[in-house]
Amino acid sequence: MSIFLGRGPRVSDQQKKRIPPGQYFTEKWPVLHYGSVPRVDLKTWDFKVWGEVDNPFEFGWAEFKEMPRKALHTDIHCVTRWSRLDMDFDGVAIQTILERAKLRPTARFVVVHAEQGYTANLPVEVLDDDDVILADMADGAPLTPDHGYPLRLVVPRRYFWKSAKWVRGLQFVPADRPGFWERYGYHNDADPWKEERFSE
Amino acid sequence: MTSTGPAAEAARRQFSEILARKGHAVDNVRDAVARLEQAFADGVLTRTSEIAGVLADLAVALEQDEGQKLGGKSAEAARFISRRLEQLIADA
Repeated sequence: MSIFLGRGPRVSDQQKKRIPPGQYFTEKWPVLHYGSVPRVDLKTWDFKVWGEVDNPFEFGWAEFKEMPRKALHTDIHCVTRWSRLDMDFDGVAIQTILERAKLRPTARFVVVHAEQGYTANLPVEVLDDDDVILADMADGAPLTPDHGYPLRLVVPRRYFWKSAKWVRGLQFVPADRPGFWERYGYHNDADPWKEERFSE
Repeated sequence: MTSTGPAAEAARRQFSEILARKGHAVDNVRDAVARLEQAFADGVLTRTSEIAGVLADLAVALEQDEGQKLGGKSAEAARFISRRLEQLIADA
């Protein structure tokens, strides 16, 4: 049996169980961001890991492409109420980064830094979930510029604004620091199954 | 210290009125910020460091490179950030 959830295509009972409250199913991948899509030159692109770590480091694009790869099949949920199921991302497991950085016990939160000063915040235990990756590919193809080329974070268990596009670094900090949307009214925790959309 | 007097009150009121106008949120916020900048330039309101930070966030949210459309979240960012600005200029 399939069910129509008000907008978009029909979904099966099994798929419906994977759609959090207040969300609708879409087969599209809407493009949502503020400002302009940044222009990226892979020759100068770099990624920085710093803060409460014993081994701060940076890497360029060529080094990223040499890291062990991880494929991720998952669902994603946007705070604007769309959910897309069965997406395939490919990239590097966040644990590859965390192990190399050697987090100190004081590293309790991470500030995700992206182009244009965009930030998003997460507790380290959420970042360290086994389904979190730094993705350079989606559905078998390199990310398009408007979906975060060349690299985005993917944190499937949180609303997708936490999965920063155009990501450029991870800063580990002892105390939580609200990110861009969190400073202006989005919920700090962003769990779609609890409908944590806004803080007010 | 909070700016007082008729000019400060007028600047705050006009900022809110521009935001509440009918029309596109991004256009309204741009106009409201222009009014705010005038108030800073005239010494009517004080640009605190927090306001400067919020204005910097807003500038990025509304940045539009040549040949590109504004991102779909720019209007929402403009609304959210201008709400915060409204709170901050009450004490500016």
